[in-house]
Amino acid sequence: MNGDEPLEVVPVRHYRQWLAAAGVALGAAMLVHALLAKIPTGLWNCITTHGQRRCSPVLQWRFHWDVVSQYFTTGPILRGLLMTIELTVLSMVAGILIGIVVAVMRLSRNRLLSSVAWSYTWFFRGTPVLVQLIFWFNIAALFPTLGFGIPFGTVFFKVNVLSVFTKFVSVLVALALNEGAYMSEIVRGGILAVDEGQVEAASSLGLTRLQTMRLVVLPQAMRVIIPPTGNEVISMLKTTSLASTVALGELLMSVEHVYNSTYQVIPLLIVASLWYIVISTVLSVGQFYVERHYAKGSLRTPPPTPVQRLRADLSGIGRKLRERPSFLRTATSR
Amino acid sequence: MIHAVGVRKSYGMIDVLRGVTMSVARGEVACLIGPSGSGKSTFLRCINHLEKHDAGVLSVDGSFVGYEQRGAKLYELNDKEICAERARIGMVFQRFNLFAHLTALENITLGPIRVRGLDEKVAIARARELLDRVGLRDRDGNYPSQLSGGQQQRVAIARALAMDPKLMLFDEPTSALDPELVGEVLDVMKDLAHSGMSMIVVTHEMGFAREVADQVIFMDEGIVVEAGAPEQMLSQPRSPRLVNFLSKVL
Repeated sequence: MNGDEPLEVVPVRHYRQWLAAAGVALGAAMLVHALLAKIPTGLWNCITTHGQRRCSPVLQWRFHWDVVSQYFTTGPILRGLLMTIELTVLSMVAGILIGIVVAVMRLSRNRLLSSVAWSYTWFFRGTPVLVQLIFWFNIAALFPTLGFGIPFGTVFFKVNVLSVFTKFVSVLVALALNEGAYMSEIVRGGILAVDEGQVEAASSLGLTRLQTMRLVVLPQAMRVIIPPTGNEVISMLKTTSLASTVALGELLMSVEHVYNSTYQVIPLLIVASLWYIVISTVLSVGQFYVERHYAKGSLRTPPPTPVQRLRADLSGIGRKLRERPSFLRTATSR
Repeated sequence: MIHAVGVRKSYGMIDVLRGVTMSVARGEVACLIGPSGSGKSTFLRCINHLEKHDAGVLSVDGSFVGYEQRGAKLYELNDKEICAERARIGMVFQRFNLFAHLTALENITLGPIRVRGLDEKVAIARARELLDRVGLRDRDGNYPSQLSGGQQQRVAIARALAMDPKLMLFDEPTSALDPELVGEVLDVMKDLAHSGMSMIVVTHEMGFAREVADQVIFMDEGIVVEAGAPEQMLSQPRSPRLVNFLSKVL
């Protein structure tokens, strides 16, 4: 063989990958078929032409997509959706604030503060959120009125618990307190991930401990805090559906209202599910950009946005097709 | 500037400082040398109260570190007063400790704006001057991760200088640097020394100590073993421990 002739490169064939891909494709096709299948309703559509009667079965979507689209954007559903979003946002904001305070308390040198913080997390993580929710809904049974004053002493003013703890407020309180416990651990993890040297450098400049926390530690902890917090937000979006157990009119309650009278249970659950998926998709996209914002300084180049990545992928495929590495000349091929 | 008599510090059962006595005059450059674990860094950290000393007298510029004397009593300073004291003492760390989420410029302006309450524009102008002084004029927008070790340490020096300190503490400022980057940091420190800044430098750079220091202080096992002029200390050491130490590092 002559060394001047280029050698052809035969790429390795991945037969098992092809087989697996074919299997998955088949499964996907079956799923699509099941989703789009039409089934007989049991009714017949008959027409008589020239004295001859012809009948054909009336078909309908197995998943009742017509019902889904009919209800998808109706007023009651959208009002429920709005309340779900409100609950998610408010309880997460409150939960994050509680989480930061509890995390800082937990890391405090003061033993009383840190053990109170520990107990808080212990208690609210240790009991089911559904139980907490029903508890707060019934809080008026335990404390009909709430008095503010000196323990065992004078009471300055009283409030009627039943009027304060409406359905919405009791659900919000339950979700926020529960979330605060989880968030405090997430925030604590983030704070601990920041190098001790950062605190020392801030102290040596004369920053107070509060300033150090706010200006130096928390901004850097954010990078570690955000991914699990994104998880929490999306989890919270769906946890709000527990509020339907106390008949608060959020998304799940709204579809329940509809199917209780129409008996179209599955299509309406699909309506709710689709909305949950839409919102959690929006939240995931938001998370990506928030992460990107807090990554500044920690990476030399920020990660590409999905659009940039798609563009890079496409141009990569194009290059691969144009330049097939079929020939290679080597010195040792003789 | 610094006056220490019998300064002690222990962590549990371990005595790190066992009675450190030294003094450093205003405008003087003192190099602290000694084997690792001798308490050099701990003593340095006591000076700006990053560590609290257990016993002994330690004063900076005539006032006690962490305490205030009123009559016959020493009152412990509160957090705010300690912060105010620290703000007058610059510190440079072995591992730079630049704020990773801030640019070089923002690292330098943070203290002046937040602690001194300086106007942002004034602080930025001053920060640019300092960056120029440490030879990093065009690096203002870079994050620490985009700078070399030597550049980071020079930004860290600029950050400390931005607080107009009356004293600068250096805790092994070149120990974490690649050998070829040590020179650029030492040059900045030499300039600073020549400008009359009071400096205490914990270092293993004997060449720097010989060239720049007014006083070399040798510490071992938590006490000052020997102190004096660099020429005499490094060329004619008297104590056997210093002789032994120098034979290892020179």
